[in-house]
Amino acid sequence: MIIAGIIILVLVIISIAIYNSLIAKKNQTDNAFSSIDAMLKKRFDLLPNLVETVKQYMEYESDLLTKVVALRSRASNPNLNNDEKLNIDQELSYEVKGLMVNVENYPNLKADQSFTNLQITWTESEEQIAAARRTYNAAITDYNNAIMMFPGSIFAGILNYTVKPVLSIPETERGNISAKDLFNS
Amino acid sequence: MTASAPLDPATMEVLNVLEATRIALRKKMMIHIVICCAGAMIAVLGFMSTLIPIGIIGIICLITGFVLMSISSTAVDQYRLDFKQKVIAQALHTIDDSLEIDPKRGLAENEFIKSLLFNRRPDKYRSEDLVEGNGGKTKLSFSEVQAHYKEVTNTKRGRQETWHEIFSGVIFQADFNKHLKGTTVVQSRVFGSGISDWFMNNVQLFSGDDSRVKLESPEFEKTFITHSSDQIEARYILTPLMMESISTLNDRCKYSISLSFIGNMVTIAFPQSKNYFEAPLFKSLMTDGLLKEDLELVRHIYQVIETLNLNTRIWGKD
Repeated sequence: MIIAGIIILVLVIISIAIYNSLIAKKNQTDNAFSSIDAMLKKRFDLLPNLVETVKQYMEYESDLLTKVVALRSRASNPNLNNDEKLNIDQELSYEVKGLMVNVENYPNLKADQSFTNLQITWTESEEQIAAARRTYNAAITDYNNAIMMFPGSIFAGILNYTVKPVLSIPETERGNISAKDLFNS
Repeated sequence: MTASAPLDPATMEVLNVLEATRIALRKKMMIHIVICCAGAMIAVLGFMSTLIPIGIIGIICLITGFVLMSISSTAVDQYRLDFKQKVIAQALHTIDDSLEIDPKRGLAENEFIKSLLFNRRPDKYRSEDLVEGNGGKTKLSFSEVQAHYKEVTNTKRGRQETWHEIFSGVIFQADFNKHLKGTTVVQSRVFGSGISDWFMNNVQLFSGDDSRVKLESPEFEKTFITHSSDQIEARYILTPLMMESISTLNDRCKYSISLSFIGNMVTIAFPQSKNYFEAPLFKSLMTDGLLKEDLELVRHIYQVIETLNLNTRIWGKD
């Protein structure tokens, strides 16, 4: 009787532990995405300054600047879902990279201190977003493993937890950003 | 300059002067050792053959030898200090003009503790030969460190003290090229952490350690275990390229390295068994390759800056 009681008690403790662990892992994924979200906002907020500084010098790049401005206004829509935000960020990264490459043709812009500061802040934000994406993916992998493996899968079924997709990391974010590519291209 | 290349004329000049001092000191030390040995032998023979006065003379000789040796050891210490301040300092300039050695200083004990690289606080701590300078835009310093902790056990025979080594080797510190707010520690993986890891990962009730950072590189994860106060910042530091560079650096070393990133500084512990920058007393200073290993260590430190790309300053730090 005592043995049966001990076994039941142990099973209850293990169940509580696994249940808590699943909840914590799910919360971790939400928390990890909010970090990406905060960093995306920080990056989107850099754009007005960047466009303002650049347009004084890059009179022949109006197409590129218009695209960036359009993406910025799309990004400021409060009703965007997570995927849309990430897509805008990816497009924005691509366009701003194009802008940075063309800076070489505008020596006055290259010498502008506020532009250099913005360029550095942009690079830093890219690295931080890459890090936040990797943190999110680590949290998702942890969560997916927990809900797919036994005995977590039983609790996941009860809680109606489903597998979440990981974010694809763009090829450009897999390596370090090269200072040479950025400043001497 | 290659490791075995001849030293520059300025260093050679200093070496010539010190070599004369070394020969004189060695002669003195040899005489003192002979006095000690002779004294010991006379004392043993005297007391064994019950010739007490001869035994006493032996003891006097022995004590005189020890006193003379201790007097000479001050001169030997000065010779070793001169070697570091003149020869090593000169040789360091052949690698980088900014490098300076301070033999009497080292990594402060509180810096050693603050690095969080070691799980224990030292009860006995010694650090010397602080080398400071710049590697391009990166400020760097390194020094030799020996740290031990004491274990006290109560046995039938009473209280017993045992000393255990925490670390022995070189600790390198440099200005990191990114702004950091948190604390990230990369330690070489300890055998047997597997079971505790399983509990941490799978059973929340036993957990409480949110600091463990699981990184994507299986190779890196196999060698190192990472903890951080900020999961995102840890990945901001440990980019895929950085992980690869740390693994490369680790492969180059005989013993596993550990790193910490705290307060805009990177600290790397290189376990070593050799005592660097020491002047030989019973071996000529004019020997080929005298400074080979010392200079190799300094070049290795410069390679660290290159390997970890510490001079790449695109993240807003100058």
